[in-house]
Amino acid sequence: MQHITFILNGEKQVVNADPSSRLLDILRDTLGMTAVKEGCGEGECGACSVLKDGKLVNSCIVPMGSVQGAEITTLEGLRDTAEGENIISAYSDSGAVQCGFCTPGMVMAAAALLRENPEPDEQEIREALSGNLCRCTGYNLLVKGVTLASERGKEKGIWQ
Amino acid sequence: MAVSYVPATFEEAVRIRRETGAVPVAGGTDLMVRYRSPAGTLPDFPWPVMFISGLKEMKGLFLEGVELVIKAGTELAVIEHSEIVHPVLREAVRQMAAPALRNLGTLSGNICNASPAGDAVCVLYALGAEVELTSSSRMRRMPIEHFITGPGRTVLKGDELMTAVRIPLHSESASFYRKVGTRKANALSKLSCTGFITVTENRIADMRLALGAVGPVVVRSAELESQCIGMDLNHFRNYKPDLRKQFAERVKPIDDQRSTAEYRKETTLNLIDEFFMLIEKELS
Amino acid sequence: MHQPINNDFLQKAIGTPVRRLDALDKASGRAIYIADMKFDGLLYARMIRSSRARARLLQVAVPDLPEGYYFISSKDIPEGGENRLYMITKDWRVFAEDTVRYIGETIGLLVGPDRNVLRDLEREIDISYEDLEPAFTIDEGLAVKGGPIHGEDNIFAEYHLKKGDPDSIFSGSYRIIEDEILTGFQEHAYMEPQGMVGEYKNGKYVITASCQCPYYMRKAVAGILAVDQEDIVVSQAITGGAFGGKEHFPDVIAGPLVVAVHVIRKPVQIVFDRHEDISFTAKRHPSRTRFRTAIDENNRIVGMDIDIAINGGGYQSCSHIVLQRAMFSVNSVYDLPNIRIRGRAVATNTFPSDAFRGFGAPQGIFACEMHMSHLARALGMDDAEFKQQYFVQTGGTTVTNGTIHEEVKLPEMLEKVLKASGYTEKNRLYDREGAAKAVGISFYNHGGGFTGDGEKEIIKARVRVSRDQNHKVTIYVSNVEMGQGFQTTACKVAAKVLGIPLQDVFFQNPDTSVVPNSGPTVASRSMMIVGKLVERAARQLKNTWNDQGAVEAEEDYVQPPGIEWNSTTFQGDAYPAFGWGICAVEVAVDPATAEVETKGIWTVHDIGVPIDDLIVHGQVHGGVIQALGYGSLEKLEVKNGAFLQNTFADYIIPTTMDFPAVESDLVENPYEYGPFGAKGMGELVFDGAAAAYAAAVQKAVDRNICSIPVNPELIMKLRQA
Ligand SMILES: Cc1cc2nc3c(=O)[nH]c(=O)nc-3n(C[C@H](O)[C@H](O)[C@H](O)COP(=O)(O)OP(=O)(O)OC[C@H]3O[C@@H](n4cnc5c(N)ncnc54)[C@H](O)[C@@H]3O)c2cc1C
Ligand code: FES
Ligand code: FES
Repeated sequence: MQHITFILNGEKQVVNADPSSRLLDILRDTLGMTAVKEGCGEGECGACSVLKDGKLVNSCIVPMGSVQGAEITTLEGLRDTAEGENIISAYSDSGAVQCGFCTPGMVMAAAALLRENPEPDEQEIREALSGNLCRCTGYNLLVKGVTLASERGKEKGIWQ
Repeated sequence: MAVSYVPATFEEAVRIRRETGAVPVAGGTDLMVRYRSPAGTLPDFPWPVMFISGLKEMKGLFLEGVELVIKAGTELAVIEHSEIVHPVLREAVRQMAAPALRNLGTLSGNICNASPAGDAVCVLYALGAEVELTSSSRMRRMPIEHFITGPGRTVLKGDELMTAVRIPLHSESASFYRKVGTRKANALSKLSCTGFITVTENRIADMRLALGAVGPVVVRSAELESQCIGMDLNHFRNYKPDLRKQFAERVKPIDDQRSTAEYRKETTLNLIDEFFMLIEKELS
Repeated sequence: MHQPINNDFLQKAIGTPVRRLDALDKASGRAIYIADMKFDGLLYARMIRSSRARARLLQVAVPDLPEGYYFISSKDIPEGGENRLYMITKDWRVFAEDTVRYIGETIGLLVGPDRNVLRDLEREIDISYEDLEPAFTIDEGLAVKGGPIHGEDNIFAEYHLKKGDPDSIFSGSYRIIEDEILTGFQEHAYMEPQGMVGEYKNGKYVITASCQCPYYMRKAVAGILAVDQEDIVVSQAITGGAFGGKEHFPDVIAGPLVVAVHVIRKPVQIVFDRHEDISFTAKRHPSRTRFRTAIDENNRIVGMDIDIAINGGGYQSCSHIVLQRAMFSVNSVYDLPNIRIRGRAVATNTFPSDAFRGFGAPQGIFACEMHMSHLARALGMDDAEFKQQYFVQTGGTTVTNGTIHEEVKLPEMLEKVLKASGYTEKNRLYDREGAAKAVGISFYNHGGGFTGDGEKEIIKARVRVSRDQNHKVTIYVSNVEMGQGFQTTACKVAAKVLGIPLQDVFFQNPDTSVVPNSGPTVASRSMMIVGKLVERAARQLKNTWNDQGAVEAEEDYVQPPGIEWNSTTFQGDAYPAFGWGICAVEVAVDPATAEVETKGIWTVHDIGVPIDDLIVHGQVHGGVIQALGYGSLEKLEVKNGAFLQNTFADYIIPTTMDFPAVESDLVENPYEYGPFGAKGMGELVFDGAAAAYAAAVQKAVDRNICSIPVNPELIMKLRQA
């Protein structure tokens, strides 16, 4: 066990954890961040997506030993910001949410994309979401949701 | 339960490595998956590990003389977006996994994992990359094909870390890269094929062909490649069937859960044919 | 910040989209799934499973367990309780005893507070077996390899159907074209793995589960503890996808779980990880369908002799019903003369197969569509041209000698698909160019609700709708929201009838101690059958709307008039109404790698009337892409009884990049006995796309395709042949 210090959703956290424990388990079990889902535990599905130092990562394969000093953002830290709300409501209004299990990860992936590229085309959206599996929607409406988030976000000046 | 270390500096990392033999975890995208265990439990590492992804000294890429140096801890996403990286390597990296995974995974992880299906590895063979291995007492360099000795096997010593990948700058007349994955994205390779052709005065000045996932290690033949040097279009055309046959003899894939030996072989040969067509085009 | 729900559908057509009631909670990560729930003193359980496909179980050696850890097995079933899950039949055991029938069969549960300790203990459990000779394939099952697994002959069920006079046809001298069509296993791959928590509360066993059928589960497990069904309370947790995989299979988890709770009396959680979920849960039944088709001198079909066999795995579960649907679907949308169908569900030592969106229909339809396209090729005709000659019409006869009562809009739908896809022109052009490109097409229908009189005789759905003092309305049904949108559409139906905003209608996750039994969430029945009852109950409520205090209304299922069904002979109207579909898929096959690029996907469906356009299109997109996965990528092989592709790295489902957007269109065709004219659709949209894809590749490479998945390995083989 080791003290590991990092920033979670803007606040400093010190957890006592084995450095090989998964960031996903620490977020969900120790810190109660249950918006982060476990869909596979093998880096394949993206349900566990979080931002690490602003970059999209799969928290199920990030060891706590790699988190020392890092800045982690989960959906809990994003959902009440203008940026997060914009994506959440765009997905919701586009019919992109079905069973919802993939959706938190899809929000994180969209946030990562739109920060880098606020006006992505369909191909860019599909590439950005390619590590996030969804079994319900067939992806069409998710892609539309990101497009809507891009349009609305531009109007609101979210990425300025 | 395996002991784990989080070195704060590179010096500390090599020292821990020497003293404990702890296995480095870079992005963890291979190791955390291979040794994963049920939710809420620790990964099942059979040896001590150390987490090196926080080491700033191990990150970055730059040009040095006639080489591109990619430090071992550099993430795939950085390589994908860097203008100074050979476009074929960038393309191969871009086709690996998915964005989130490329933010974690490293090039040296792909090499040290020593999978014959490692996508970057196939291109690095063709580019003639060398790896740099460092321990607390020495540093050595060797071509990638000497480093990887079999599936999951390398000559990395118990006290060494890979510190950099050195890629000679290469400018070819034309290049060829195809990855055949299990699907269109976020897919492991069933096979891959990298080819470079350089033509001067209508003759082959340099030809390279590396084939991934069709044997225990990436297949590249200096012997067959060198036979092509100096050939013109006619000569190459005549020699082509023989060359194809000799490559075919070196392609020895297996059946597994991702594909069949038969498919891998047939498709690899089809891709070789496409590459040969490219060579002919360059020669004419 | 978020726009309020738009209630335009109250003034406009009911299909006018609303934002789903569950969307914001789910998208913001506030929705709590089973693995997210907190329980005081929660214990975790690991399933201890058979590693052998068929063996005598000699000994289970459990190490000394630390305090607070338990090993639960059949020995813990209380007196009077049965070691059987009461699914449709009582054959699936809660815990294996004496023998094991498949890899993954439950032997025990290891329960305790610390998951790391459990994992270490699990390794120390030593199970000894005496291996027996297993049977894995349909043929091995039929050959009773290694002795019978079930009965004398490994036949879970065998049925025969006859339409017209096939005997005279097949004793005649017509040209006979034979065919054999194969489909493989398919994994549901819902994104949320199986999970549930059992508790003992106030004298009752309370199971909170990710599931489709709370009442099924209650029935399945009560007998294990020898308690009344009322002593078991099943409460549905928000369910992260199901697709049939959470219909019966959760019972297999709930059984051992209630035994553990009975012994320990503390909350116990079982949540599978993905590897377990792929390796050790039920799959879609593999099928083999043989055709012998008689063709007359005018190149017309005069008779068809069909033999379907499906692989049911180690236990029967619902295999016989899946088989029935496969048989009833094996003439797809065609009214063909002189049909003989034999169907068999076969016992083997693979993991038991079970419900999966379509429930046998996808297998039957794929077989039929491919065979029909093979006939077209053999007779030198285009698929669409050949098939449309046989479209069933209103008043036409089904394979069970029932009648199609509704208006059949296939010709109108076909026109739309041909136009949208450019089917005819593109195929002509690609053919001329000799390009490895083509557009394939498939036709399909799906009967809504339980087969025959099942709704009336077996399910007997009841719903309740209430209005409280504040004029808020609550819908009480046992059907679940599992992603398909039923929560929202059910509330829309009530809101529309009552003319009140959607915000005033509530639908909670069902809990068997609260909701009446309106039946399981299966068979595309929720909207068509249960939604109709909600509509009726809401109308009743409307009459008492102005009464003082709270009011409520209940409605029971009534079979629509004119439906005739004999459940012994399978004669009559197997379904009261059908959804109809046409799918076209355009592909290009890479000459070097045989990889397929899908260039376009077009569908037209008749689902009666959509209750919400966006939800319906979402179902279409999701169902079609899932079916294209089935048809192209989702290879699932069994090696020595174990699934070979048992991670998401190897079991390949579609990503965003694999298929382009589905262009989905609808034709309206109101169904009198569905709410606002709606018919069933959840499974329909899965049924046809695999065949359209296979037909496209078939045309592109000019070789008959007889099996799925149509992957590059298969295409390469066909091209070499
Ligand atoms: C979902 C998913 C998709 C993937 N897709 C692809 C794909 O498309 N193509 C592909 O080729 N691979 C793919 N991979 C495999 C993996 O991501 C790559 O091999 C990646 O490059 C590994 O890098 P890493 O840093 O994460 O490796 P790690 O897991 O950290 O390490 C891998 C190996 O390298 C060793 N190692 C790492 N760094 C050093 C060092 N500095 N010195 C000595 N040894 C070292 C480790 O000890 C270990 O043996 C995928 C993996 C996942 C989970
Ligand atoms: S749970 Fe992390 S990628 Fe699936
Ligand atoms: S909405 Fe169910 S997995 Fe995406």
